[in-house]
Amino acid sequence: MKWTRSCVSLALIPLHKSLLYGTTGAAAYGLFFPLINTIDIAFAQGGQSFKFAWISDTHLYPKAVNKRFVEKATRAIQEVQAMNPPADFLIFGGDMAQLGDPVELQLGAELLKEITIKKVFIPGEHDWYLDMGATWNKMFGAAPWSFDYKGVRFVGLDTVSHAEDFWTSRKMSAKERMGNMATLDGTLGGAWAAVGAEQLKWLNSTLASWGKDKPVVIFSHNPLYEYFPPWNFWVRDWRGVHEILKPYSNVTNIHGHTHQVLYNEIGKLRSIGMLATSWPWPYAPEGVPILTRPMIRVDPGEPFDGVGWSIHTMDPTGHVENQYKMWRKEVFADAGVDSNAQDSHEVLSPRVADRI
Amino acid sequence: MANEKLRYPLITAGVGVLFFLAVDTEPAFAHKDKHTAEQLQAFEEVFMEQVKIGDLLFHGDPETQKRLNVNLSNTGTACAMCHPYTSDTHPHQFPKFQEQMNEFATLRNMINWCIEKPNEGEKIDPDGPAMKALEAYIYWSNRNSKLDPGRH
Repeated sequence: MKWTRSCVSLALIPLHKSLLYGTTGAAAYGLFFPLINTIDIAFAQGGQSFKFAWISDTHLYPKAVNKRFVEKATRAIQEVQAMNPPADFLIFGGDMAQLGDPVELQLGAELLKEITIKKVFIPGEHDWYLDMGATWNKMFGAAPWSFDYKGVRFVGLDTVSHAEDFWTSRKMSAKERMGNMATLDGTLGGAWAAVGAEQLKWLNSTLASWGKDKPVVIFSHNPLYEYFPPWNFWVRDWRGVHEILKPYSNVTNIHGHTHQVLYNEIGKLRSIGMLATSWPWPYAPEGVPILTRPMIRVDPGEPFDGVGWSIHTMDPTGHVENQYKMWRKEVFADAGVDSNAQDSHEVLSPRVADRI
Repeated sequence: MANEKLRYPLITAGVGVLFFLAVDTEPAFAHKDKHTAEQLQAFEEVFMEQVKIGDLLFHGDPETQKRLNVNLSNTGTACAMCHPYTSDTHPHQFPKFQEQMNEFATLRNMINWCIEKPNEGEKIDPDGPAMKALEAYIYWSNRNSKLDPGRH
């Protein structure tokens, strides 16, 4: 496959339906949630329609430790490979491994061999903090990167390698460092998710040569807005990212890490959260974007429930349409009782045992 | 005969002892003193020690599991992986009918279900120290949640 630069001629700027419905519709379950799994109106012609697939958050342990995660990653991989017509490429969105072990990363690479289309990769924190990304970069290449394909500029960011050093002064081993970083609600890792000054500069210069009205898709492990910082459901320098993206009218961020159905819009930036193949996370205690139609509460006794992968369709206007491939009939909750989002009765506290 | 001779003096002595006890000793009370700040702090410390042990168990700490002789998971997974901050454990809603178990369940029942099913670990003593510590951590983390037993 040849990756070429081309551009989409836009007669009008696409107007997303959520801008028409506003937040009132999004606040009520099941009434007006046209944001995902719907076809947006095409205001312009000239671009090319194509599909790409997303898999992330497989969190693989060595096969002997956990077979279920292998089975679920395998199912996603087989389904991507079975797409007919095939996707144009696969983006793997990070957290391939659970504890950054080269054995885990090697297992992921072996499983992914089944997918024969082009594959691109960005890292997650679980892939990184055992050896500070050495194995990951060697096996899957370093981020950031960008490429142009059928009129869209695709960008892959590293949002995981910028943790403040909490390990040296505590004389932690590499495994202890990784263990802390692998704990979502751990306190020592702090606000580790970031794009970083150098990468922000790179992003700015990478986009500078791209038309302001042309489609841009940015892949990141963490969401590029502030959802729930204690679990790093953000990047700490998200304001800087938005400042750079402000002149661009058609930017979509597709991210992993949150293991749940998520949708948000800030200015002209759309953000779509992806499912994990490993396990779903409950919605954070606060900060769930009002534009998110919450996913259904899943059965913890069914390992394949609440997880999956995604197909993204780029329509001729340069608008990304996401289809969650969750392994169940119903993806979205129609009522609060079927969702764990916005439970006003539940008030939670941060953990204590790892605080200094 | 000798026993009969002794009977009356013994009864007299016994009555005397009872009279002495009734008149000269303080009655027993369950909470005879007001709590001191030191006592309250000690109670808090006992509780928070259990919370911390429960937190470590909940996050899969191998040393704590070994010390308490429990094996909460055989898949590398820990409770906190699905329940960061203990979210979605809903201790304030128990006891309730629990769909997965198809029975009226307590929080302890649910903890053991999670250990056995998703974690593929080994069920723990429902009244043992590991269960008490897990329960302490989950309740502590949810201490500001609204008590609402039976709610799904």
